[in-house]
Amino acid sequence: MSLAASHSTKAGPSMLARLLARQELALLLCLILVIAFFSLTAENFFSVRNITNVLGQASLALTAGIGCAIVFMSGEVDISIGSLLATIALPLIIIMNETNSLLLGISGALLFGLIIGVVNGYLTAYAGINSLIVTLGTMFIMRGGVYLYTGQRAIPDDAALDSFIALSDGRLFNVIPYSAVIAIVLLAVFAYMMQHRPFGRQIYAVGGNPEVARLAGYDVRRVKFICFIISALLATVAGIILAARVGSAQHTAGLNFEFQVVAATVLGGVSLAGGVGSLTGMALGVLILQFLSNGLRGLGLPTEWQLVITGMIIIAAVAFDEAKRRRAIGG
Amino acid sequence: MQTGKQVNRPVLAGKFQTATLPENEMDMSELTQSSAPRRFIGGQLLGSSQLVLGVILAVLCIAISIAAPQFYSEANIIAILRQCALVLIVASGMTMLIITAEVDLSVGASLAFVGCIGMAVLNSTHSLTLGLLAALAFSGAVGLFNGLVVTRLKVNSLIATIGTMMMLQGGVYLFTREAVQNHHRLASFTDLGAGYIGAIPLPVVIAALIFALAAATLRFTTLGRYLYAVGANERAVRLSGVRSQRLKLFAFVVTGLCVGIAGMILSSLMNAGQPTAGRGFELTVIAAVILGGTSLLGGRGSLLGTLLGVLVLKVIDNGIIILGWNQDLQMVVPGIVIILATYLDIVRNRANVG
Amino acid sequence: MNWSKSMLFVSAAALALSAAAAHAENMPKRIGYVTNYATHEWYQNVIKGMQARAKELGIELEVQDANLDIAKEVSAAEDFMAKGVDVLIVTPVNEEGVVPLLRQAKSNNVPVVLEGNPVKGMTTMVAICDYDTGYTAGVEAGKYAKEKLEGKAKVMNVGLPLLSATVLRSQGFMDGLKTIVPDAVMVHDLDGGGNPDRALEVSSAALAKNADINIIYGINDSSSLGGLQAWKAAGKSQDGLLTVGTGGEGLAFINAMQNEPSYRIEAAMFPEKEGYTAIDAAVKLFNGEEVPEHIVSPTAPMNGDDWKKFYDYDGTTRTIKWDAVNALQPPEKCMKTSADLKK
Repeated sequence: MSLAASHSTKAGPSMLARLLARQELALLLCLILVIAFFSLTAENFFSVRNITNVLGQASLALTAGIGCAIVFMSGEVDISIGSLLATIALPLIIIMNETNSLLLGISGALLFGLIIGVVNGYLTAYAGINSLIVTLGTMFIMRGGVYLYTGQRAIPDDAALDSFIALSDGRLFNVIPYSAVIAIVLLAVFAYMMQHRPFGRQIYAVGGNPEVARLAGYDVRRVKFICFIISALLATVAGIILAARVGSAQHTAGLNFEFQVVAATVLGGVSLAGGVGSLTGMALGVLILQFLSNGLRGLGLPTEWQLVITGMIIIAAVAFDEAKRRRAIGG
Repeated sequence: MQTGKQVNRPVLAGKFQTATLPENEMDMSELTQSSAPRRFIGGQLLGSSQLVLGVILAVLCIAISIAAPQFYSEANIIAILRQCALVLIVASGMTMLIITAEVDLSVGASLAFVGCIGMAVLNSTHSLTLGLLAALAFSGAVGLFNGLVVTRLKVNSLIATIGTMMMLQGGVYLFTREAVQNHHRLASFTDLGAGYIGAIPLPVVIAALIFALAAATLRFTTLGRYLYAVGANERAVRLSGVRSQRLKLFAFVVTGLCVGIAGMILSSLMNAGQPTAGRGFELTVIAAVILGGTSLLGGRGSLLGTLLGVLVLKVIDNGIIILGWNQDLQMVVPGIVIILATYLDIVRNRANVG
Repeated sequence: MNWSKSMLFVSAAALALSAAAAHAENMPKRIGYVTNYATHEWYQNVIKGMQARAKELGIELEVQDANLDIAKEVSAAEDFMAKGVDVLIVTPVNEEGVVPLLRQAKSNNVPVVLEGNPVKGMTTMVAICDYDTGYTAGVEAGKYAKEKLEGKAKVMNVGLPLLSATVLRSQGFMDGLKTIVPDAVMVHDLDGGGNPDRALEVSSAALAKNADINIIYGINDSSSLGGLQAWKAAGKSQDGLLTVGTGGEGLAFINAMQNEPSYRIEAAMFPEKEGYTAIDAAVKLFNGEEVPEHIVSPTAPMNGDDWKKFYDYDGTTRTIKWDAVNALQPPEKCMKTSADLKK
């Protein structure tokens, strides 16, 4: 009951204080541990080139993770984001091939993303269907639709615009990939919104306890509806970055991407039950998993071991986090 | 039934219940109100969602058979039933599990692993019994592991079983890099997938038995009532002195054992233990269960619904092939049906309440 | 290329060890291979062949797996380039998706050998001829049909429309078959997903619709076996049936040829040889030698027990007989390629 209220009051203190007070610290330690471990064991891991590469690779999950986390915080789930990645790449690439305009391509992609967000949001918030079912359904529909439309063939980026290629190859100051810059800026904007704007508080309240949120005068349905649109638009941005990285619209793009993002988000302390968590935590969750997979690759570990270890770490991290939370509640 | 509560349901419906979160508090009266009446609905011949599904199924069958008369051939019906059997076996366990408000995404990965282990044991022992026991022991252990992680370590089951899924996907390749071939050539093993009892394929008979057992447990036993109660309001059940964790553990293990049986049937059908098998199987199973009206929130659902859900999905799958349509539709159509069926169910509920 | 000069010493040592490196070539120190799907038997054996050849030449080989994920493939290649490998070998998860990867490799001066599938802007590719592989198997199947199946050929194609390579195999099979049995027909053209359980399910439904077929063709061994299992599960005898598999990627086909009466023809693709050839191509690129755009890796249809010519099998592992496989003469050019499909 009081969880939503306590969250809105927590939004005040400085970044550092919150970091220390909550689980972000544990996550940060975990991330440092991962980086330290691989710096010692994996050749070439701790190099500017490799670290910035990982940031570029993480930009997809970071961007989509923001939306995923916000939907979680509102008490819903969105597992359609993987299929969305493949879907929005179609208008993006097709429009760019036709018009040679990055702006038009991106507009087309965002329009598609918006429509998908509206559909997911409407069916969940207004038609009242369980969001897991809705997004499971739209996940199948979109993936199948992409397969049908493309005949299961990738569509190449024939326009090959310099501005689009820069999304994949370009680096700010020749160091940080632009894709990572985009992800970090978006993260900062949304983290600010979640902590310091009324809408952020509304999301926590709605996810924490819809009844209370309603009594407090919030439009629960509207808040959830908007969260789905945010999620779809951010996943669209991730989809655009992915399309640039693979230079094409891929019908299999984003397969299992939703698992990756959901795992990272929950690892980052964003509860599936709603009302709990922070975007900083989500970002740390994404980085931990990304550095982990990069490091395991660097060690030359075969896929099977990478899978086994990643699985164990996800379970262990969430279990550890739960134990800590229970101790905190108990004490 | 409280009208207000019912109308609110859909808004709440997106939430996952986790064991420890205090905001899911409900009192004891809520337990009796939310779980017991629903059980009665399930107890009637056809609940609302089953009725919707039954109509959908009938329409599908009629439409497909008008367009393609081969749909009603004996061979095709047997092919559909055999495909349904695998899904239904696992879905029987999964229904129980989802009723307790938990879920298991590792069943697809486990299905592949079980088949490899069963086949390897068969190869070295030449005993169907030992092969089956090994498969059941393994899959039961996977279920137990999932259950312990969820109930003891309090990890959300969606995440815990994604973790297990990854471990099993990796683990099966550590166990074998190639498909485990059938070197034992036991006839009884081949019968497991391809055999018949009378005119009915053996896997269908096995699925029917498991289905009946699970349905009877849910409907007629105290255990079944507790499973519903745990899903509807775990806290209340715990307060009333029942060990709710044990019940969830039970449901996880049962799901695991079902996977063991299905895995052996699949490896018999393929005549090999295939480490690549079962991809996406978990989504088919879960889709069938929720299509059948079992709520992911827990506390509500029935096996009859699950049976209809399995049939609808597999008839669609089969129909698309029989009609010679683009097989990519095998993804699009179930997606639409899942959303539509759930929506129709909600509309019916609203109409009833209003 | 200063660093390559400094490695003369290393390669001198390699030369001393290696009888195979008869010419005074520079050896790359390190080759990175990004594979498509390392847990699959096909790629397992490609990697085996690469390892065998790399060891012979004293090259360090590292393997990364994209696990069918194009985004992961790009990441793995980035990792390799950050690590400073001398040559990259890549099996594209998807033909269009690795274009940016080639671009990046170019700007990093890392030569790339592609395995399996062609990509716009590539230097060279090591691959079998898919159409030819299907075609020669089709011819063998036609002979078999004429001799044992009363000259009839009604085919169930357990295919994979997803990939141009697998579409070419099916087309080649039918075209080859028709040279012997002109009125051969494809009764079912299925999407078996390339995996055994999907192939089984799809074939079951197709056979229930119409079981009047006498040849099962699979674009890989999983597909042909899935089709055959569907046939058996429908309670049909294998008399008068011919099953043709493609790939010969693992043990499954050997087992099938020993135990399934209808499984008589396998279009072998020798993944080990493909890996072996890819390493040779990498060495040539490293030395700046001219290489053809498509280096063809040989294939051969195997009837009945022919496989014993090319493989030793001890019940758990198979070992390629290099002499026999290296003696196979691949064609200079493929009869048909994916470029012909797009026309």
